[in-house]
Amino acid sequence: MSARVDAMATSVPLHVRGLCAGYDGVALVRDVNLAVRAGQVVTLIGPNGSGKSTVLKTVAGLIPAVGGEVVLEGRPLGQLSARERARSLAVLLTERRRPEYTTCGEMVAAGRYPHTGALGILGQADRDEVRAAMELVGAWDLRDKDIRRVSDGQRQRVLLARAICQRTPVLLLDEPTSHLDIRHQIDLLVVLRRLVAEREVGVLMALHELPLARAVSDWLVCVKDGRVLLEGTPDQVFGSKTMEELFDLRPGTYDPVTGAVRLPDVVGEAGDA
Amino acid sequence: MARGQGSGWAPGGGARTCVAFALLLVLLAGLLVANLCVGSVAIPLGELARVLTHPEGTQTATQVVWGIRLPRLLAAGLLGGALGLAGLLLQTLFANPIAGPFVLGISSGAKLCVAMLLVSAAGTMGALSAWMTMAAAFVGALIAMVLVLAVSARTTLASVLVVAGVMIGYLCNAATDLLVTFASDANIVNLRNWSLGSFSGTAWGEVGIMALVVLACLACALALAKPMGAYAQGEAYAQSVGVDVRRFRVATILLSSLLAACVTAFAGPISFVGIAVPHLARRLLATARPLALVPATFLAGSVFCLACDLVARNAFAPTEVSVSTITALVGAPMVVWVLLRRERGDVA
Repeated sequence: MSARVDAMATSVPLHVRGLCAGYDGVALVRDVNLAVRAGQVVTLIGPNGSGKSTVLKTVAGLIPAVGGEVVLEGRPLGQLSARERARSLAVLLTERRRPEYTTCGEMVAAGRYPHTGALGILGQADRDEVRAAMELVGAWDLRDKDIRRVSDGQRQRVLLARAICQRTPVLLLDEPTSHLDIRHQIDLLVVLRRLVAEREVGVLMALHELPLARAVSDWLVCVKDGRVLLEGTPDQVFGSKTMEELFDLRPGTYDPVTGAVRLPDVVGEAGDA
Repeated sequence: MARGQGSGWAPGGGARTCVAFALLLVLLAGLLVANLCVGSVAIPLGELARVLTHPEGTQTATQVVWGIRLPRLLAAGLLGGALGLAGLLLQTLFANPIAGPFVLGISSGAKLCVAMLLVSAAGTMGALSAWMTMAAAFVGALIAMVLVLAVSARTTLASVLVVAGVMIGYLCNAATDLLVTFASDANIVNLRNWSLGSFSGTAWGEVGIMALVVLACLACALALAKPMGAYAQGEAYAQSVGVDVRRFRVATILLSSLLAACVTAFAGPISFVGIAVPHLARRLLATARPLALVPATFLAGSVFCLACDLVARNAFAPTEVSVSTITALVGAPMVVWVLLRRERGDVA
């Protein structure tokens, strides 16, 4: 029995059951149920303000759950110490701090926090992890560059490496591709797929861009008006008409199959003059 | 997965850090000797060595070195380091480059409480004990700190925080002035000297207390180096890697208040060291790693204050100017320079 539980804990490192997420005891999102398997990307999509970030922050233990539970590697989140939690789950949030006099390598090395001693001095194993993570995201060449002197795309890869070198079975990413141009968005998601394939990490993320979410995800969860409207494989979700409902779109403006956007005709006032 | 070919990542700048520390130590040693030798009574190096090894003599030189200059330079070194460290802690806590104990009104809060103590108690008991002054300064610093925190909870704008801090400083100074206006003449003399900011007249007993408080705070700051590094990358991020953010904030607040209080209690308000020195140290080391930056900032603060005190004592001899005048003359342009440089860095 316990062997089966252990196996469950490794193959499904993150379970979310009946989660209500919000602030000050008021739920913004209700009754979220998720299972993130090792080697799988689960993506939350939905309009701005639908509470995707709030769900992620609650799952990460940064804000207390209003209701329901988060189970990390077989144990309820509330029972884990901060250090245990940080060894099971790494985050890439939308915080955009660029500290002074900090190289990209130092930035990444911060991810070793839950593995180092009281003074945070890196051992050989830590330095190997930093290098491996930077090589995985293709940022190894940036190791001695100042974080304030790299592009947004490079910075995002460095931050992803920082989360990767924490060596956790679960990664939470909040809008990892926002503020990037399309090439860098694709680059980042390619890295993410490589990570999932090579290290069997389970990823839960929030993503704005629907075509990207469709391409990168194994499972999609659509959040709107404080609840899960729909979930399924990308083909199931994009095949349904719910996508228009999700974003309050006029029929015909968004083609769920191709991802093409068609703007409604605009009647200019200049013509009347 | 491409495992690194043997070596793995190594933090750069190790050589630079060593050179920077060597430079700071050489400067510190030089300034210690200069502060002992130079002054109204010049003491040649040869005589200094003899005086230092024979403290029991009764000659002028012995009395000047052991009675006046040595405690004074120890005060300047310890309190300078304390100011730099307080500035570094506050800059980390508020993620604000121009935070410092003086700018945020914390020094002024400490000053107000010490002034209240001086005025109310001077009549009843002769000399106040150093510990009581220290305690009053700590209470004042904490009150000012709570006000600053209340403001910072309501705004994310760095500029609003700083303006609020400056205003708290002005309020405390106005209250102090009011107190001075209605105090008896005897008290005012004490208060006037002290409220200008000076290391002069430090007694050995006070040096002992300073050393105890300041070095204990330095040790605590070093122990906080790990969470400081994570906190610099963002509060939520620090929380996610396992930092107890609430505890870290409380520790930082207590330490910086204690350091600022110690300085204010023994030397009066000394401006601009707290803001300028952490930037100097960062620039010198070219790193923000707290484990290197904490001791470097402390050393740089010592060097800065010893140099300023040397100038304050000798530049206009026989008149001595307050050390705060010199630190402001040097520090204020430095702060402007730091801000301009940062602005350029942010745009690039």
